[in-house]
Amino acid sequence: MSDAEQPTNPNDSNDVNEVRHEETVSDDEFEPVQVFPESEDMDLRPGSDDCYKCSTCDTNCPVAEVDDDFPGPKFQGPEQWRLKRKEDTDIDDSVMSCSNCMRCDSSCPSDVPLSQMHNTARGEYVENQMDKLSREYVRNRILANYRTMAELGSKVPRLTNFLMGNSLVQAVNEKVLGITSEREFPEFAEETFREWWEKRGGPQVRSEDKRVAYFHGCYSNYNTPAVGKAMVRLFESFGYEVVVPKQRCSGTPMFANGMLDDAKRAAGINVENFSGLVEEGYDIIASCTSCSMSLRQEYPELFSYDGTASVAAHTYEALEYLRLHEDLEAELADAEVDAGEFAYHAPCHARNQGLAGQAVELIDGLDGANAEDVGDSCSGISGTYGWKDEKYETSMKIGAEMFEHMEETDAEAGMTECPTCAMQMEHGTGYEIRHPLEVLEEALVEGSH
Amino acid sequence: MAIEDDVTVVGGGIAGMTAALAAAREGVDVRLLSHKDSTLKSASGLVDVLGYLPESDGEGPLSDPFEAIPQLPDAHPYRTVGVEGVREALAVFDGVVGDRYRGDHTDRNALVPTHGGAVKPTARYPASAAAGLASDDRSALLVGFETVTDFDAPLAADHLESAGVPFAARGATISFPGDFRVDAKITRFADALDADERVAVQGDGYTTELPVREALAEAVKPHLRGAERVGFPALLGQHRPDEVRESLEAELGAAVFEVPMGPPSIPGMRLEGALTGACREAGVRFTTGNPVVDYEEGGRAGSEDIAAVRVERNGAAIPFHADQFVLATGGLVGKGIDSDREGVAEPIFDCHVPHSGDRYDWFADAAFGDHPFARFGVETDDDLRPLDRRGDVEFPNLRAAGAVLGGHDFAAEKSGAGVSLATGVAAGRSAAKEVSDS
Amino acid sequence: MTATTDVLVVGGGSTGTGIARDLAMRGVDVTLVEKGNLTHGTTGRMHGLLHSGGRYAVSDQASAEECIEENRVLRDIAGHCVEETGGQFVQLEGDPDEYFEEKLEGCRECGIPAEVLSAEEAREEEPYLTKDVKRAIRVPDGAVDPFRLCVANAVSAENHGARVETHAEVIDLLGDDERITGAEIRHETGPGKRSHGKSGETEEIRAEYVVNATGAWAGRIGEMAGVDIEVRPSKGVMVVMNCRQVDTVINRCRPKGDADIVVPHETTAILGTTDEEVEDPEDYPEERWEVDLMIDELKRLVPILGEARTVRSFWGVRPLYEPPEVGSSDPTDITRDYFLLDHEERDDLHGLTSIVGGKFTTYRMMAEEISDHVCDQLGVSATCRTAEVPLPGSEDESVLDAGMDRFGLRSPVARRSTQRLGSRADEVLSSVEPNPVLCDCEAVTRAEVRDAIDQSGTDLNAVRIRTRASMGNCQGGFCCHRMASELHPEFDEPQAYAALDDLFEERWKGERHALWGEQLSQAGLNYALHSATMNRDRDPADREEAIAFGEFDGGQRGD
Repeated sequence: MSDAEQPTNPNDSNDVNEVRHEETVSDDEFEPVQVFPESEDMDLRPGSDDCYKCSTCDTNCPVAEVDDDFPGPKFQGPEQWRLKRKEDTDIDDSVMSCSNCMRCDSSCPSDVPLSQMHNTARGEYVENQMDKLSREYVRNRILANYRTMAELGSKVPRLTNFLMGNSLVQAVNEKVLGITSEREFPEFAEETFREWWEKRGGPQVRSEDKRVAYFHGCYSNYNTPAVGKAMVRLFESFGYEVVVPKQRCSGTPMFANGMLDDAKRAAGINVENFSGLVEEGYDIIASCTSCSMSLRQEYPELFSYDGTASVAAHTYEALEYLRLHEDLEAELADAEVDAGEFAYHAPCHARNQGLAGQAVELIDGLDGANAEDVGDSCSGISGTYGWKDEKYETSMKIGAEMFEHMEETDAEAGMTECPTCAMQMEHGTGYEIRHPLEVLEEALVEGSH
Repeated sequence: MAIEDDVTVVGGGIAGMTAALAAAREGVDVRLLSHKDSTLKSASGLVDVLGYLPESDGEGPLSDPFEAIPQLPDAHPYRTVGVEGVREALAVFDGVVGDRYRGDHTDRNALVPTHGGAVKPTARYPASAAAGLASDDRSALLVGFETVTDFDAPLAADHLESAGVPFAARGATISFPGDFRVDAKITRFADALDADERVAVQGDGYTTELPVREALAEAVKPHLRGAERVGFPALLGQHRPDEVRESLEAELGAAVFEVPMGPPSIPGMRLEGALTGACREAGVRFTTGNPVVDYEEGGRAGSEDIAAVRVERNGAAIPFHADQFVLATGGLVGKGIDSDREGVAEPIFDCHVPHSGDRYDWFADAAFGDHPFARFGVETDDDLRPLDRRGDVEFPNLRAAGAVLGGHDFAAEKSGAGVSLATGVAAGRSAAKEVSDS
Repeated sequence: MTATTDVLVVGGGSTGTGIARDLAMRGVDVTLVEKGNLTHGTTGRMHGLLHSGGRYAVSDQASAEECIEENRVLRDIAGHCVEETGGQFVQLEGDPDEYFEEKLEGCRECGIPAEVLSAEEAREEEPYLTKDVKRAIRVPDGAVDPFRLCVANAVSAENHGARVETHAEVIDLLGDDERITGAEIRHETGPGKRSHGKSGETEEIRAEYVVNATGAWAGRIGEMAGVDIEVRPSKGVMVVMNCRQVDTVINRCRPKGDADIVVPHETTAILGTTDEEVEDPEDYPEERWEVDLMIDELKRLVPILGEARTVRSFWGVRPLYEPPEVGSSDPTDITRDYFLLDHEERDDLHGLTSIVGGKFTTYRMMAEEISDHVCDQLGVSATCRTAEVPLPGSEDESVLDAGMDRFGLRSPVARRSTQRLGSRADEVLSSVEPNPVLCDCEAVTRAEVRDAIDQSGTDLNAVRIRTRASMGNCQGGFCCHRMASELHPEFDEPQAYAALDDLFEERWKGERHALWGEQLSQAGLNYALHSATMNRDRDPADREEAIAFGEFDGGQRGD
C-alpha cells in the first residue's frame, strides 16, 4: 500500500515492542486484489503513485551498474506495473537479472514498494513465462530450496563435502545445471546446530519475562553452527530463555528466484510455528540479516497468513535486540578480547533494516577488536544469484568494489552478518570471515575462550 | 535507554551531513538518522550560493553573491546566519572536498553550462566542470550520446551561442562506443569508464577491441576540428573521474569537462561520497533505512524538550535519545514537508509551516511564476529553532537546517546547496555548544 | 494567398475530422481548418468514455440506441483507439432499487447487452470497488482515445486528398447576406507550420460549401455569418488519476448527478464530471470545489481514490444545443442529441450548415448525416463508407508477438507502443536506430516521437496527443526537454525552445489542480530540475541585454 497511510504512532508508551495490529497492516479499506485471476497477487499499480521519477533507485542498483541487460528498478518496478492492464500478463524477462538485494527499497525517497514489485513480477514471470522443464528453472528450483539439499548433504557431511569439492562434480554442476564451478561449495558441518541443541538438552535458562525464539535459518544450522551456538550462549548469559522451534527456510532464496509457491509454503509453516510463541511473550531473533528481512518485510508484503503481522513486528536481528533491551555498550566497554582488526561489510539486507552501522559501533567500544566499515557497496553474491553460471561474472563485477575496499583496510579478516556475503568476501579476498555474534560471545560470555 | 547520543540529526542530505559534521568536530557524540537516500543524487552537484535576488525580474545573474546577501528579505535563512555564516560554511565545505571542487579562489560566481543549454551562476563547481566555464573564451565542442536523452549537445551549443557566450560552441551527437543497450543507465557508462573496460569497436569491415576511454576519444576526434575544450554529459567515471578525464585529455589534446545533469546525477553522488567520508572520519554514527515518525517529550533540561525521536520499524517504534536535535529532512522534494488537499505540515515534530488555507493560493499561474509552495518550510528564531504559530520556539533543543526552512525559493535564487551548508554548519555548531554548556 | 476547395470544414474535433474523412472518401475536395491543434476544443477534453448507451437508457433512449450502434462500429473501424473495458452500473446500499430496475429494463429495450452482477461478482471483477456495493449491471462501455481517433480520421482524409490545416483560425467568412463562399484564415504563430502559410499570414479559402463543425464555438462562426446559433456551453471537470485503480468503466447507478463515473483511460483513470452552464467556452472559472467533489463523491464507489495520487484536472465544454423554444433552465436537462442547422432553411443563407450538440461516441453518425446533406447540396451521389473501412492504424488486428524483441524494446514498452500505433507499429518502431525511450512514464520511444513530429511539426502538444509522451506521473518534468530535442536540427534552436516552453506551460496549467501530496512533491522536483539545475526560469538567452561574462569567475587555467 502507498505511504499515504502514515505509520501508526504508538500512543505515549515507551514500549519498543509496540505491536502494530493486524488491521493496520492490511487496511480494511483496501484488500489484496488479483491482477491475474488465477493468482493471488496484489495489484501493485497504486504503488506507482509514489514514484516521482527521480531515478535514485537506478543509481543504487548494483546490477544496473554492471549488467547491460538490466534496465534498473525504476523500469522494473513502478513503470512496468503502471503500464499494465488487467489482461496484460507479459513481464519483461530482465526481471530475472534482479538479485533481490533490495537496495532500491532503502534508496527510494518516496516509499515505492520496489522489491515487492520485483518479487511479484518475478513470481508472475516464473509462473507464466518460464519453461518448467528448462535447465534454468530446474537449477533455480534447486538453489532456491537449498535447505532440502543441505538436509541431505548434512546427513553425510564428509562425503558431501568431498564430493562438492570434487572438480568432476563441479564440472557436472556447471554443464548440467548451470551452477558455476568457480565457487567452492560451502562445507557442511559435522554436527548441525539443531543436533547440538538437542544434545545439550535445549534451553539452559528459563525465564517468564525474558524469552526469545531463535530463527536460525538454514545456514547456521547446516554450515556455520558456531554462529547459532554463539547466539544461544550470548543470550543465555543475559538471562534470556532461548527456544528453537521447528522451522523452514525463511524464503529469501525463493523470492529471489520467483518461486513464490515454495516461499509461501515455507512462510506458512514459519508463521504458524512462531506466531504462537509471540503470543506467549517470545520475541523472534535471527542471526542472518536476510532471514530477519524476510520475516519482517517480505512476509507482510507478499502473504496474508494470520499472525504474519505480529511475527513481523516481533522479529529482531540478534545484536539489534540486545542493544535495545540491554546496556550492551556498557557491557562491551568493560570487556576485552583478542580479536584484532576486521573489514566489516554491511549486507544489503542489514542496510534495509537500518542495521548497517550497528556492528561497527558496538565493536568500536570493545578493547582488542576493531571493525572498519568497507563502505556501502553490495557484495554481489545476493544469495543464490552469484551461484548461477551466467550471473557469476556480474556477481564478481559488483563485488569488485567491496574486495578493493577490504584490501585497503589494515584488517586480515572480514566480518558480516550474512552467510552468502561471507562466502563472497572469502571468495574474493581469501580472508577468514567472522560473524559479529562470535566476537561478542568471546568478549562477554565466561569461558567461551 | 538503549541508544543515546549528544546530538541526533534527522536527515542525510547536504544540510544533515553538514550539521552532523560540524557538531562532531566540536567533540560531541553525533548520530545521523536517515530514512532513504537524500535528494543529493537528484541535484547537479554544483554548490550554488546565490545567483539571483528574489523578485529580480530580468536582473542578474549576480556576479558577487556575498554582496547581495544583506539585500535579502528578513525571513531568508541567509539573514539568520549572516554573510559570515555563509563564508564559514563554505570554508568547512572547501576543507571537506579539497581539490574535488573549484571556485574557492574568488568571491565571484561562475557561470556553468547546464544540460538544458543555459548557463547558471554557482559558487563552487566540481573539478570536472572547471574547464567548461562560460567566461572562458576557449572554443568548445559539446558531445552528446544518442541514448543519453537528457542532453542534446548540438541544441545546447546553439542555445549557448544565443546567450552570447564569449566562445564558439559546437555540438555533436555520437554513439557511445561498445555494445550497450539503449536503456543502459548512466551509472553503467560511468562504471565502464572507471574500469576502462574493453569494448568492441566497428572499423571499416572489421571489429577490434579497445579500452573504452580510448574508443570514446577516437569517436570524438572526427568532430574535434580544433576545439580547445570538449564537454560531455556528467558521466565520466563515478569513482575515478580525474583519471578518466586525464585519459581523454591526453587522447584528444584538448581540455575535457563535464556538463552537470539532472537526476540521476553522478556529480551529486560523488559529493555525497565526499560528505559521508568526512562525517565518518569525524566519528558521526549513521543509522539509516527507517523513518523517524515522531518524538518523545520531557528531555533532561525540561518538559518542553524533546527527549527522543522514534524510528518506525515494521510496527515497532525504536527511540533514539539525545540532548539536542537537528531537523534536516528537506523540503517538499525531500519529503521533509508534507501536504494534503487541506494543508501543509512538517510530519515529525509537527512544527508550524506557514501557508494559506486555500491550496489554490499555493501556486502561481505560470510554470516559472513566483510560487508560494517553493517557499514552504518552517520559520525559525536567530538560533535556527523552529517557531510555532505564535512565534514562540517550538522546542528549546530542536534546530532546523536546509530545505525544510521556509522563506526562500532555492530553485529561483540558485541558493540550494548554500542554504543547506550555511544553516547546517550553524545548527550543528549551535547544538554542540549547547551540549558542552550543559 | 487564396485557395479553392469544394467544401470547407471549420473545426478539427471529432465531428470535423469525421466529416472531412467522410467527404474525402466520397471523392469530394475538402479542406479542414482548425484554430488550434486537432481536438483543441471539446474533443480533447472529454473523459474518454466510449458509451454503450447505458448512461442514456432511462433518460434518452434514442441517444442510447445510437450509442450502442456506433459503439460496435468504432470497435470495428478503430481498434487501436478503443479499449474494450466493459462497464458497470453500480448500485450502492441505499441507492434506489427502482432506478436500477429501470436502468436494466432500459438497456434491454435499447438493445444494450446488460447482465446483472452480484456484489461479489462486481468486486471480483473490480477488487477496489467499495464493500457497499449492492449489485451492478455489466454493459459494453469502453474507453476510447479521442486524440488518436481524430488524428486517424485526419490522416485518412489526407490520404483521400483532403487538406488539413491546424493553427489556422477563421477570422472572417467570405460572401454576403445571401451566400457564404468561403473563409479568411489566419495562420497562427503557434508552432506546427506545415507547408502552407507562414505564421501571421492570412489566406482566403473559397468554397462551394462551408460546414461549421466548431461545437461550442459555433455561435462565433454564426456571428460572422450574421446568423444566431443558440449553443449553450456547459463545462464539466475531469480529474486524472496517476494510475488505473479500475480496469472497467465504473458508473454510479442512480439518476443523473455530478461525479458519477470513473473511466480507465490508457495508464490512468479519469473521474467525472460536473455540468455547469458557462457564458464563454474559452473563459470560465476552473474551481477547487469541482476537483474536491470528484474525489469525495467517487471515493464512495472506489475508496482508494481518496488516498490515490491525481496528476491533473481539465475541463471540457459540451456544445449543448436545444431549439430556443424548449428553454431548459438546468443544463443537465438539455438533450445530448445533435442538430443539423441548415442555414438556408433556417436563415435564408446559402452555402453554410452548422452541426451542434451531440456526443463523441456518435461522431461518425453525425458526420455521415451532414456529409449526406452536403453531397445533396453539391449534387454528389457517392455513398458513405466510413462505417466499413477501418481507420489508418486499425487495418488489421495487430497481434503483439514476442518478435517485438527485434526492436530491442522491453516488453511493456513494445506492448504500449503497439497499443498506440496499431498496425503502424512495425513501420514506426523500425524507423529509428537506436530507439531509446524518451518518456519513461508512458513508455514512448524516440521513433514514436519523431513519427509524430513528422505529422505535426513543432507543436509538441500535438506530439503529446499523438503519443501520450509527457502525460504520466511527472507531467513532462523529465521528458519535455527530451521531446524538444527531437525537433533539432530539423527546426532551429529558437523554435525548439519555444515549443518546449509551450508544452511545459500546458502541462503546468492542468497540474496546478492537483498540487498536494505526491503531486506537489513532483511539482517541486520538476520546478527544481528546470529552474535550479537547468536555469530555464532565468535563461540568459531570453534576456534583452547580454551578460557581462567578464565579471564572473573564468576559472584558473592550468590547473
